Amino acid sequence: MRIGNLLRLGLIAPLAFLGSIGPAQAEFQKVFGAKTAMLDNGMQVVVVENHRAPVVTHMIWYKVGSADEPKGDGVSGAAHFLEHLMFKGSRAIPAGDFSKLVRSIGGNDNAFTSWDYTAYFQSIPSQYLRHVMALEADRMINLSLKDKDIESERKVIIEERRMRTDNDPQTLFMEQLRAALFSNSPYAEPIIGWRDEMPLLSHHDVMDYYKTWYTPQNAILVVSGDVTLEQAVEAARKTYGLIPSREVPEHIRPLTPDFPAETRVTMHDKDIRQPVLFKTWIVPSFMQDKKSYYDLSVLAETLSGGSATRLYQTLVAERRKAVSVTLSYEGDIRGQGTLWLSAIPAEGVGVDELEQEIDKLFRELIGNGIEQQEIGKAKTRMIDQALFARDSVTGPAMVIGQALAMGATLDDVERWPESIGHVTQTDVQSAFDLYLHPDTPKYLPVTGLLLPQKEKEEEKK
Amino acid sequence: MKRFYLALFIALVPLGAQGAVLDVQTVRTDKNITAWLVEDKTVPVVSMQFAFLGAGAVNDPDDRQGVSQLLSNTLDEGAGDLDAEAFQAALNNHSVQMSFSSSRDDFGGSLKTLTKYQDRAFELLHMALTKPRFEEEALERMKQANIARIRNSMTDPEWLAARLSNAVLFKGHPYARNSGGTLSSLPKITATDLRNKLASQLGRDRLIIAVAGNITKEELARQLDRIFGDLPATSRVAELQQVEWKGVRTAQYIKDIPQSVIGVSWPGIKMDDPDYFAAEIFNYILGGAGFGSRLTEVIREQRGLTYGIYSDLSEMDAANLLSIGTSTRSEQVGEILTLIDAEAKKIAVTPVSESELGQAKSYLIGSVPLGLTSTDRIAGMMISFQSFGLPVDYLDVRERALEKVTAQDVMRVASRLLDSGNKILVLVGKDAKLSETDIFETLPDIE
Repeated sequence: MRIGNLLRLGLIAPLAFLGSIGPAQAEFQKVFGAKTAMLDNGMQVVVVENHRAPVVTHMIWYKVGSADEPKGDGVSGAAHFLEHLMFKGSRAIPAGDFSKLVRSIGGNDNAFTSWDYTAYFQSIPSQYLRHVMALEADRMINLSLKDKDIESERKVIIEERRMRTDNDPQTLFMEQLRAALFSNSPYAEPIIGWRDEMPLLSHHDVMDYYKTWYTPQNAILVVSGDVTLEQAVEAARKTYGLIPSREVPEHIRPLTPDFPAETRVTMHDKDIRQPVLFKTWIVPSFMQDKKSYYDLSVLAETLSGGSATRLYQTLVAERRKAVSVTLSYEGDIRGQGTLWLSAIPAEGVGVDELEQEIDKLFRELIGNGIEQQEIGKAKTRMIDQALFARDSVTGPAMVIGQALAMGATLDDVERWPESIGHVTQTDVQSAFDLYLHPDTPKYLPVTGLLLPQKEKEEEKK
Repeated sequence: MKRFYLALFIALVPLGAQGAVLDVQTVRTDKNITAWLVEDKTVPVVSMQFAFLGAGAVNDPDDRQGVSQLLSNTLDEGAGDLDAEAFQAALNNHSVQMSFSSSRDDFGGSLKTLTKYQDRAFELLHMALTKPRFEEEALERMKQANIARIRNSMTDPEWLAARLSNAVLFKGHPYARNSGGTLSSLPKITATDLRNKLASQLGRDRLIIAVAGNITKEELARQLDRIFGDLPATSRVAELQQVEWKGVRTAQYIKDIPQSVIGVSWPGIKMDDPDYFAAEIFNYILGGAGFGSRLTEVIREQRGLTYGIYSDLSEMDAANLLSIGTSTRSEQVGEILTLIDAEAKKIAVTPVSESELGQAKSYLIGSVPLGLTSTDRIAGMMISFQSFGLPVDYLDVRERALEKVTAQDVMRVASRLLDSGNKILVLVGKDAKLSETDIFETLPDIE
């Protein structure tokens, strides 16, 4: 789904579209040509074949994340804590041995947690696929935790939070900005947990969550690389297939309303040397409204798809009001989506002036319209990205797993270029007007100003 | 059950020759340009990486730190008949990913394109390298972007720790300077500085090239002459003295943050040293493996003192390093340092177990194909081999050499590298009250 985004971040690099194909044909070419099957217990299996090197990436995606943690219990971060504790042993595999076994066959492994999903993966020589399936299936059902491992690992995640968040005022600020934006949503909470709540995470919190959500029919197996669907399914039947499924609860995603007053969050910090402006708006996600998802994706690429596009060219190159400006769309999510704008003012330009300049440009673009040609080029770039998508083994598994875990279908993923191709100039213009109009946006933005200390002192004078 | 799984994994035979996985052809053109190529007809993509060896930031004058960095930022900001906007648009409209970069030692670049746009992509690269415009407007924009980047990084303790390491490890050597420039040096740099660097340092005599993807040897040879053929045949770069190690030292930049960043360094080992492969295994067992390494086991898994602890061997033209990096709550700094010392002592006087040795070899040999799964990774591996002067069949050489390493070899190299008289410790965080510490009030080469 977020093929373009992942490529830009360098997370995936490209397959096997034989020979060269023009953009017109590309719109109807499947992105990955993935194959899928269903085990008897309701677990979906997806395979992307790529026989370039004798390796596979094996991923298990659980359709559950930090947004599904129980609310109102004063404890946050259980989903991520569980992800760590999944390496702390089962009845068959002692604590810490999982990763050592994977290393001993020349493989790498890791895991990550998001608001909507939790994924575990191993990249390994392909002949060991059935072995890692056995290991992963084992910890899906047999997790067995000792108190001493829970104690030490809780310290580890608290150090992780210190490293990622507490040690840098910028990340602390971003955490608060997000909380302000999603004021009626579990997306307000940091995945890792709030600083003061993490020490309260208990064995009970983690095992409750594990026993509720970790079950085959709430998991997706994605294998990419040197393997066929038949081989993967055969191995999966003998491992994951042996685990009985149970029903899982609904995913509750409360909606943040369109409040009548704008929110502004300002932070002055002695360590901040570079002022930064953030603006963020609630918009529909893929799961809420597919049509808007594609329109907003094209809008973001048109306005901010590199330094040759409109925001950079006007605000940075032409008008010299900013050093950088980016707009990105986060729509691959089960609940509400967001647009994030971040901008660094040019020397001598205040953040307030920059904010007014952005509003002014948005009014011009909404009033006069974006040129058809700019939108056409953005669509071509996005469709081109799909051609790079299979020059990678891990990349396709990441894209497919993330999409399916939030509730999209494999067909949605494969037809991404075609769906982008159908977006019209009018669609993009309407989305721009509806969600980003400086005077009448559907959701008023949350604006964040990250500023050095001295400006605060000047204000006092 | 436990025994069953262990047997299942460890009894498996390591993979065969890696060379078969990386099928390198050597391309030599009419203009005597050489490149390594891995042809892959299954993707509609071509990835190229190249570098001018020795043409990196070490050549920046003291008062103009950042020349190399700015050159890497402005080559694609207008060239030939295209101004900055038109050049960026030409890249963007053809989905060409082109970038230049500068390390301490080398000046490099990369290009990734769909085969259907490759002619245009190679032409744009040729223009960037031979006809860059360096217009005032673009240069000023790139300076401002770099200044903002530096200011922005000043809240990041890891970045500050890297600055401190530079200052301490390489004091008095060009490596101590900030490759990214400083807040006061960047404004001084002119278009003439960039032109001079381009004309005098980026010559074909120091050019290495690696390509992977859907292109034939013949076609590549033709394109290489087009892209690089107009560059000067010879060039000159600064001559570098080897870094002199400073002996045992402790340095700290005091900052009121909840978690301290820790770096410990010793002199490393050259890749052509007979003990290099033993050192690779030593590093893997000590801290290179991440999970499963001794440092991670003792410091993270058993005690929960950190989120991450790694060791690393790095090779530069004028220095080699063995380094350990970690971070922990300020109150625990002393405890972590004591544990690191204990592990360093242990691996230097006691042979590693046969099972540790076997697992390290399995990983270091068996994991190679994981790095060969995309055209840009393949090109990246080939360019690093060339930059270290390694042969085309290096993966096979390395596999054979790793297999021969014994536990005694590992202990010998550990004891040689982990000389406590050479240990340099750098810290960013609250005052750790360590003895004989040089306290830095400000860090050099930022402002």
